[in-house]
Amino acid sequence: MEQQFDNILIFRSDIQTEADTHRIGMMLDNHPWIERWCVDLDDDERILRVVSAKLKHTNIVDIVAGCGYSCEELKD
Amino acid sequence: MRTRNVDKVELVKQKAMEMAVAEGLERFSVNKLAKACGISVATLYIYYKDKDDLITEIGIEEGKRMSSVVLKDFDPQSSLEQGLRKQWENRSRYMMENPTAMLFFEQLRSSSYHDKVTATITADFKDAMGAFMKNAVKRDEIKEMPIEVYWSVAYAPLYSLLRFHSQGQSIGGKTFTISDKVLWQTFDLVVKALKP
Repeated sequence: MEQQFDNILIFRSDIQTEADTHRIGMMLDNHPWIERWCVDLDDDERILRVVSAKLKHTNIVDIVAGCGYSCEELKD
Repeated sequence: MRTRNVDKVELVKQKAMEMAVAEGLERFSVNKLAKACGISVATLYIYYKDKDDLITEIGIEEGKRMSSVVLKDFDPQSSLEQGLRKQWENRSRYMMENPTAMLFFEQLRSSSYHDKVTATITADFKDAMGAFMKNAVKRDEIKEMPIEVYWSVAYAPLYSLLRFHSQGQSIGGKTFTISDKVLWQTFDLVVKALKP
């Protein structure tokens, strides 16, 4: 388990496949303020999980939209 | 600041094992688990990256707990019979008190999670079991033999009895409940078989 839980942003998304994941990866992998990210393709809501100390949920929604996909914040 | 709620973590672990046993690892989903626990999906994903991470972490945590129960009051210097007796006591207690965990481990054994989970079995556990075997060989209480042979004689009968018990039936569907008499009768035969 990760010890730093405060910088984790969770979204439901419409990312469906490995190819989709690869496409948004081109943006997320190269973003200087994104430490880690992943998508759970096993889950019905295709949960996108981003670790970033500086970005907010709205920033991630915009970045993902820029790749042609959508995501919505899930509140804990 | 987000903190881990220990009670919630324990609830998630228990429900996850129950769900994996009831529905299988293929049909297991983090969403369903969140509903079963009465917590938000987001909360689970804060602690675990994805389904694979959750199952692996829970397997590792429970594996460590099992190791500590199995090693409790076990002395690797003890005689073959004493040490094995303590192992049978500890292992049967863990299995009887944690039937869901036992079935969960059986599921992991035949899955892709198995290697990751077993790789983290504590060094303490491996060291203690290895030292116990070496000491018994040195004292001529047992002949040197491949670990698979040793395990098949020393522990497989115990797990066979526990499996019969958890299924409520033995050979040919005969109703079965484990008793101390049956357990220690089997144990005596195991010790007899292992002695040179």
